[in-house]
Amino acid sequence: MGDFWFEFVEITQTIGDGLFFGATYSLIGIGFTLIFGAMHKLNMTYAAASLAGAYVGLAAFTFVNAPALVVFLISALASGLIGLVVYVACFRFIPVNNHLAALMASIGALFFIDEIVVHTTDGSPLTFPAMFEYVMLEVGPWGLRGDLLFVLAVSVASTVGLLYVLYRSRLGLATRAVSQQDVAARLCGIDVHRTNATTFVLAGLLGGVAGAMTAAAVGVLSPLVTVPLTVKGLIVTVIGGLGSIPGAIVAGLLVGGLENVFLYFRGVNERDMYVLLLLFVFLVFRPHGIFGSAIDRD
Amino acid sequence: MSYYLGLLQLIGVHTLLGLSAYVLMLTGQLSLGQAGFFAIGAYSAGILTVIFELPILPALLAGALIAAFFAFLVGFPALRVKGLMLVVATIAFSEFVRLFFFNLSWRVPRGDIHVGPDSTNGFREIRYFVANGWSAWEITTFVWIFVILVMAALWWMDRSRAGAVLRAVGEDELAAQSAGINLTAVKVTAMTAGGFIAGIGGALYAHTATYVDHLTFTVLLATFAISYPILGGLSSVFGTLVAVIFIQGVLVEGLRFLGDWRNIVFGLLIIAAMNLKPSGLFDARTTLLLRRSVGLGGRE
Amino acid sequence: MSIKRLSAAALAGVVAAALVAFAPTASAASDRTVKIAGWGAKSGPLRSFGVNSEAVLKAAVQAINDAGGVKLGDGTMADMELDYHDSACNADQAISVARKVESQSEALIGIGPTCSGAAAAMYGIFQKTVDDDSDTGLQFPILTDTAIRPGLAKKSQWTFRNVPNEITMYDELFKWLREQYPDVSTIYGGTETDQAHSKLTFAIVIVPMAKKHGFEWVGGGIEGVTGAVREGYENVLEVSKSSNWLLADTNFSVQARAFKKSGADMMIVSSHPFTTCGMLKEMKRQRINPKVLVGLTSSSSAETLKGCADAAEGIYIPTGFAPITEAAAMVAAAAEANGGSADLHSAAAWENAHIIKQVVEATGVMAKPETLAEDRRKMRDGLEALVNVDGLLGEIGRVQDEGESIKPYVFVQARSGDWEVVHDPR
Repeated sequence: MGDFWFEFVEITQTIGDGLFFGATYSLIGIGFTLIFGAMHKLNMTYAAASLAGAYVGLAAFTFVNAPALVVFLISALASGLIGLVVYVACFRFIPVNNHLAALMASIGALFFIDEIVVHTTDGSPLTFPAMFEYVMLEVGPWGLRGDLLFVLAVSVASTVGLLYVLYRSRLGLATRAVSQQDVAARLCGIDVHRTNATTFVLAGLLGGVAGAMTAAAVGVLSPLVTVPLTVKGLIVTVIGGLGSIPGAIVAGLLVGGLENVFLYFRGVNERDMYVLLLLFVFLVFRPHGIFGSAIDRD
Repeated sequence: MSYYLGLLQLIGVHTLLGLSAYVLMLTGQLSLGQAGFFAIGAYSAGILTVIFELPILPALLAGALIAAFFAFLVGFPALRVKGLMLVVATIAFSEFVRLFFFNLSWRVPRGDIHVGPDSTNGFREIRYFVANGWSAWEITTFVWIFVILVMAALWWMDRSRAGAVLRAVGEDELAAQSAGINLTAVKVTAMTAGGFIAGIGGALYAHTATYVDHLTFTVLLATFAISYPILGGLSSVFGTLVAVIFIQGVLVEGLRFLGDWRNIVFGLLIIAAMNLKPSGLFDARTTLLLRRSVGLGGRE
Repeated sequence: MSIKRLSAAALAGVVAAALVAFAPTASAASDRTVKIAGWGAKSGPLRSFGVNSEAVLKAAVQAINDAGGVKLGDGTMADMELDYHDSACNADQAISVARKVESQSEALIGIGPTCSGAAAAMYGIFQKTVDDDSDTGLQFPILTDTAIRPGLAKKSQWTFRNVPNEITMYDELFKWLREQYPDVSTIYGGTETDQAHSKLTFAIVIVPMAKKHGFEWVGGGIEGVTGAVREGYENVLEVSKSSNWLLADTNFSVQARAFKKSGADMMIVSSHPFTTCGMLKEMKRQRINPKVLVGLTSSSSAETLKGCADAAEGIYIPTGFAPITEAAAMVAAAAEANGGSADLHSAAAWENAHIIKQVVEATGVMAKPETLAEDRRKMRDGLEALVNVDGLLGEIGRVQDEGESIKPYVFVQARSGDWEVVHDPR
């Protein structure tokens, strides 16, 4: 019985930790899904731009010792701005129906942004500030990281904010209109380029929060994280269903939680293989994602 | 000289990698899984020459066939997904393959050492070429025989009915289907052919580099695979070759004089190239101009 | 449209410049300099390796030239000249630069490519056994710094390394810890399994050496681990034994809880700075306070302290470099002046430049264009013949048939944001 209880606490704790950490995956997933929903295009730069935003925030911390909240805010703003630049450089002037060229340009931007970060920091890991970093809430035998609780709160708040903008403002109406019926939206006098640019900025703001939260959850920031975060973000996007924001949220938490379970039982060498198998299972049995999104798969 | 020959080998290998993605792109499938097939070819052929001590030619063909077999298997489930879903599914496949080799340890004694894949420590001693006294010239020629064969085959295919079928599927699946084209057959065949070509490339790569480990076959390599045909354009196989020369020859090697700035310029030039020539460096217009300038004529 | 034209022209310009750069740079009349070539990761996430190595090399070449240069075979004093290339941490690029330097430059020797994975691949294209005409591998001497993964250099008789020998270092570290902490008995730990260096050193060196000095792995030891190097190393990485992670991991909660659950007196975190920091921070959050904390050699660098000085407090690491001698302090300052930092990896580059000077002078290298092949061969033979050389911390012994070094070392501990030498066995 004692053993069983002990195992139970261990496993629930493992799942819990993963779920909380998964909140950062959700944020990245939302960003991918948002841009895909609006333009039906893949922006490979997204995770790199999110982390670059976090680096700008970090500069504020390093040079003027800004408090953590300000750092997060600057990260979001910087990433929003980078989002705009990426839109202009990689999407704005490339013919709308040329998906490959836009994808390739965004890959170029990924290399560019990553290399700028590497050159400024020499690739060295850097301390990233967090809120409530060493606070550990203890509930019976379970422990809950204060900083992750904060991360979750920020993630929820920014998602709610995003949903509000999308569903309650004119801007959101335009974004949704363009995403659903590009031509019709144009005929209604909506400036497609401007709407797309706004979507990139919105996604960028959210990405900056995601980048800052990821960095804060680890406590250290390094360019090593870019590629794994991109891959994980894409996996979350697909499991959640392309274009589905609630799907991305649930998928992020699901991947975070299960990842930890696989790690606990099978060790780190096999962990990611199981995450990929999970994706295959979804692709075969639920290709439209968790909530069976309305958006066409293409 | 060995430097230029080495560079030529690398360009040859990467051209094969790019062509493997090119075949798929003709049918409208964007696959980031080519690094996976490349890895399968590299490890299989390496295992065959190192552990089973086979000569290079049968090892290479076997490696390519094994890669093609896995591509064939991937082809069926891949039919169900399109666009971004396919991109992510193929990334997942290629990462899965990488993780498989990351976990693979298969060592056999050879003399006083052990040889074979050794998980994280990599697969060393794939020294068939140098150990058998092949000169750099001979290795380069060997690599390019395959590059030319594959390019010729694809070029010929492109002019034949098969090419038209592939492109028809790429342009508009529904229309192609209503014209009586069997989508399943076309797409799975393209996937298998892509796997075969990537397998040859991987097998050649492993033997020219003499060493592979799982970190060779990351998403980055898969990204390069699709970069070549996109950058070069889908109008002909030469586009891919031009793009490989542009990236590996000019951006990676040629810009060395820029020192620290090389990699920053790298990304910027890709962005610039796509904005200026969204259909690829070697698009239909360039092809036409070239044909005219060499006196082959050609209509507007 | 005109902007488009302009940028198209710019694109063409860059391409043309790149192609021009390909033309063999035939330096006609060589003014007798000892040319050396360095290469390493100057792009990508491991850029600090290349930056540090280049900074130290530059400082060393400067110092050698300021002191009069290198004496050639005919008594002429020649300057040393360094050309440094970026090979990222990439096998293709390391191979390509090696070939380029070998065939397109008059460098007598190469120092590169900083990363172990790239080195493992690069060494494979060199001639395995000298004078074996049936082997068409490159015939060009290499003296690598930084890349520390155990047992690489014996791949070819042309490749040499000057990197710390981890077996001796951890052997002595645990012996010393045994004396310092007589009440510590159990150990537990983990590593980055996708990095060959951290994983190998953990499984074949650290764990057996701890066992050798009487520390017992929690839960009754690990089967097959007897205290001899390499014995039972596969069992060390079993999921039930150690708790591991990957190079780019960000979530360490499960691993840290396994550490906590083990209740071991001594804990080992065998990884590179980024995940060392991630793991140590998580241990701090979970309030895990082992009596002794031991890290991987590679983490004894400035990066770890930049990443997590607070969480790293108290960790012990053996290292082949610390600014404790006059020469070492001078190198540390010179590296900083060149925009890098001297650590156990890069400090070797200083020694390498001096080893090269010593070998040139001992073997009578002529440094003339027509003697290039001969000079390179002399460099190789000279390196193989070396018994010992002066290093920054004292004498460096050479393992001649393996091309490896035995370097003096010290034990450092992170104390209030700095590495402090706590034991100096020299």
